[in-house]
Amino acid sequence: MKKIKAHTLRAFTIAFILLLVAIGYVTKFGLGNLSGAGIDVVSLLCPLGALSTMLAAKLVIPRAVIALVLSIILILVFGRAFCAWVCPTPLIQRWFPGRSAKAKELKIEAADMVKEAEGVESLSTAENGVKTSCATCSESLGAGKKKWKPDSRHAILGGSLLSAAVFGFPVFCLICPIGLTLATILLVMRLFAFGETTWTLLLFPAILILELVVFRKWCKKICPLGALISLCSGLNRTFRPSIDDSKCLSSSKGIACKVCNKACNEDIDIRRPESSERSLTECTKCRDCADACPVGAISFPLLPPHNDKK
Amino acid sequence: MLGLGSLTFIESKELCRPPGGQDEDRFVALCLHCERCREICPKTALSPAHLEDGLLNMRSPKMDFRQGWCDYCTENHDGVPQCVKVCPTEALKLPEGAMPETVIIGKAEIKKEWCLGWLLMGCQECVRACPYEALEVDEYKRPVVIEDKCNGCGACEYVCVSLEKGSYISGATDRAITVHPIERS
Repeated sequence: MKKIKAHTLRAFTIAFILLLVAIGYVTKFGLGNLSGAGIDVVSLLCPLGALSTMLAAKLVIPRAVIALVLSIILILVFGRAFCAWVCPTPLIQRWFPGRSAKAKELKIEAADMVKEAEGVESLSTAENGVKTSCATCSESLGAGKKKWKPDSRHAILGGSLLSAAVFGFPVFCLICPIGLTLATILLVMRLFAFGETTWTLLLFPAILILELVVFRKWCKKICPLGALISLCSGLNRTFRPSIDDSKCLSSSKGIACKVCNKACNEDIDIRRPESSERSLTECTKCRDCADACPVGAISFPLLPPHNDKK
Repeated sequence: MLGLGSLTFIESKELCRPPGGQDEDRFVALCLHCERCREICPKTALSPAHLEDGLLNMRSPKMDFRQGWCDYCTENHDGVPQCVKVCPTEALKLPEGAMPETVIIGKAEIKKEWCLGWLLMGCQECVRACPYEALEVDEYKRPVVIEDKCNGCGACEYVCVSLEKGSYISGATDRAITVHPIERS
């Protein structure tokens, strides 16, 4: 049986969450949306929204603080999984051209690597040196000791929070692609339910498309919510990608296979974390690397394997 | 981001907010647009504000007295407004000891040219609907709002037959009695 690809699974998860929100919109439970969801007095808030509102109002809101703590716990357990499995933005971006070409390229490259590996097997063990040096780098994988580097997203995060504090309203919410997506869904529903027409129905998708077309790398370069999550996700230890060195073409056969690195939407080189452009902190647990790996050496175990050093 | 923030200086239309959202500055600062108040309202009296209501008001909840009116949840929830209860950021928060009579969502206004009562057709729907005796009829049986008693619950606007139920008044674009937000000082 063909295994379901992670990106299909992600699309289903996101669609399911959007469906829940849509059901919430027409039912009387007050489920809310991704800005703030919950039942009765219990709620989970967008951490960026919770911070912005408290800064904007210069108040400490107990329920918002509880929601913030809850988000931090979730981030500690799941890291940046929100970005791949809940946020609708990457799903929308997938509709824009350019994605499928990359997937095809990867598939070809993965096949090439397997072929090369078959060749290597019959060759001498001259490349053993490379092998061992690679085995050592895998040790640092679990640790992710690479220093955290602030990037443009963090600057925008700072700007949004500062702006919220100065101008007294959660500024980023105005242009947040998640909010705009959910609002557009609501407006379409209301258009059909009540015949409610408004220019907002054109404005929101327009801003959304503008953002995601002009800033193709929204998630990597702009998104302050992702930046906020990445501030805590460095401490995440569960569900981290783990490489089975005995299977990995790079560590077991010394082949310069970089398929996992190329598959990674966040530009993380999980094979060589010390030279990776971005650290494992940014991993969204999207599982694209596990899918792309020609030998299936990558898994996302609940707990890091024992042989991984702290 | 700071540029976006300055959008706050563009004037936004004043809106009738749900109970507990009467301090507009506080409300705008705290509302996260999570839609929970709108969803939970037992009388479906809330709808999302649009671009037409002002750039910064987009997606925030406003009273929609065409869909429902606000009984402060006295009917089914012992007077605990559900919108206030679920609001996760306290953007909707009632002052201590708040009563329906003291939480002023807005004030009702009658557009005399559109009102069947004022056209001497004897309509008194709004007077009958008002739970706070804030509407009376004058000597010609025309409805009159008693400002001091009106808290803007919207029951009058909800039942007003102008433009509804087969009623047509030339030139009318809205109900004859509508609730307006009180002017911000």
